[in-house]
Amino acid sequence: MSNRVAIIASNGNLFDAYKVFNIATAAAASDKEVGVFFTFEGLNLIHKQGMHTLPMPEGKESMAEGFAKANVPSIPELVDMAQELGVKFIACQMTMDVMGLTKEDFVDGIEVGGAVTFLEFAKDAAPALTF
Amino acid sequence: MIKADVRLDAKGLSCPMPIVKTKKAMNNLVDGQILEVQATDKGSKADLPAWSESVGHQYIGVAEENGVLFHYLRKCSDDTVVEKIHEQIISIEEMEKGIGNGALILDVREEAEYAFGHIDGAKSIPMGELASRMEELNKDQDIYVICRTGKRSDLAAQKLAKAGFTKVYNVLPGMTDWQGDLTKSI
Repeated sequence: MSNRVAIIASNGNLFDAYKVFNIATAAAASDKEVGVFFTFEGLNLIHKQGMHTLPMPEGKESMAEGFAKANVPSIPELVDMAQELGVKFIACQMTMDVMGLTKEDFVDGIEVGGAVTFLEFAKDAAPALTF
Repeated sequence: MIKADVRLDAKGLSCPMPIVKTKKAMNNLVDGQILEVQATDKGSKADLPAWSESVGHQYIGVAEENGVLFHYLRKCSDDTVVEKIHEQIISIEEMEKGIGNGALILDVREEAEYAFGHIDGAKSIPMGELASRMEELNKDQDIYVICRTGKRSDLAAQKLAKAGFTKVYNVLPGMTDWQGDLTKSI
């Protein structure tokens, strides 16, 4: 059985962030080797400033209260935790170029690479997930 | 309150935090120790057994009190199969016959494991307490030593044999193959 979980994060709202980081941290805590490829809007999830102000999906703003009540950790907390558990973050070079971003715009400890970097990691992964 | 080596407070935390905290806490336990995880996340009822199964620890059970879930896990990182040394062994079936003839079942698993399900009438002395509680046992009685898989009971049987007990039998494989009723003491 594969011990790898590969995740593609390609969307940038708060729900997407929770889906990505909850699965990533839970997998890492279960002794899986986890890699997340951040591309297009998904880059917001590890952007130093952006990750603090991720928007709710349109029309779901009322759920903010539910988040506070359920005491879910903040996204920056989950980012820290994921990295501490050894989750590998790969930012998509091509999208960064398009958006005019550099490695310094993101949290420390990430890798920057192209699609092949991720595919190489993902080739032995089961499951591979896209959010 | 059930005895635990380490207690983890994960109350008020939502998924995936109870799992992440459990994983971290488990790193600090030694093999065979019991971790109690206190959680209010209802998802932990499904998640902690699944996590234990996935990483290879033993999930013992959960008790609920005043809205708090108390989960019990036992660390099992050393899965090496150790050769059983104590020569007198009996099967579960033979053990059942012997109970009627006045034999004692000695359950050497941890208190939490015993609490979540044991054979009715079995006496609990966790492996770690055996040396100091040996005087509670009778040398003239047949003693059937049982644990989960036969590893701890083998060690316990050896210990008793060294102390002069001759009517000591290791029950193999152990509670994992017990099909009868389980008595709970929680």
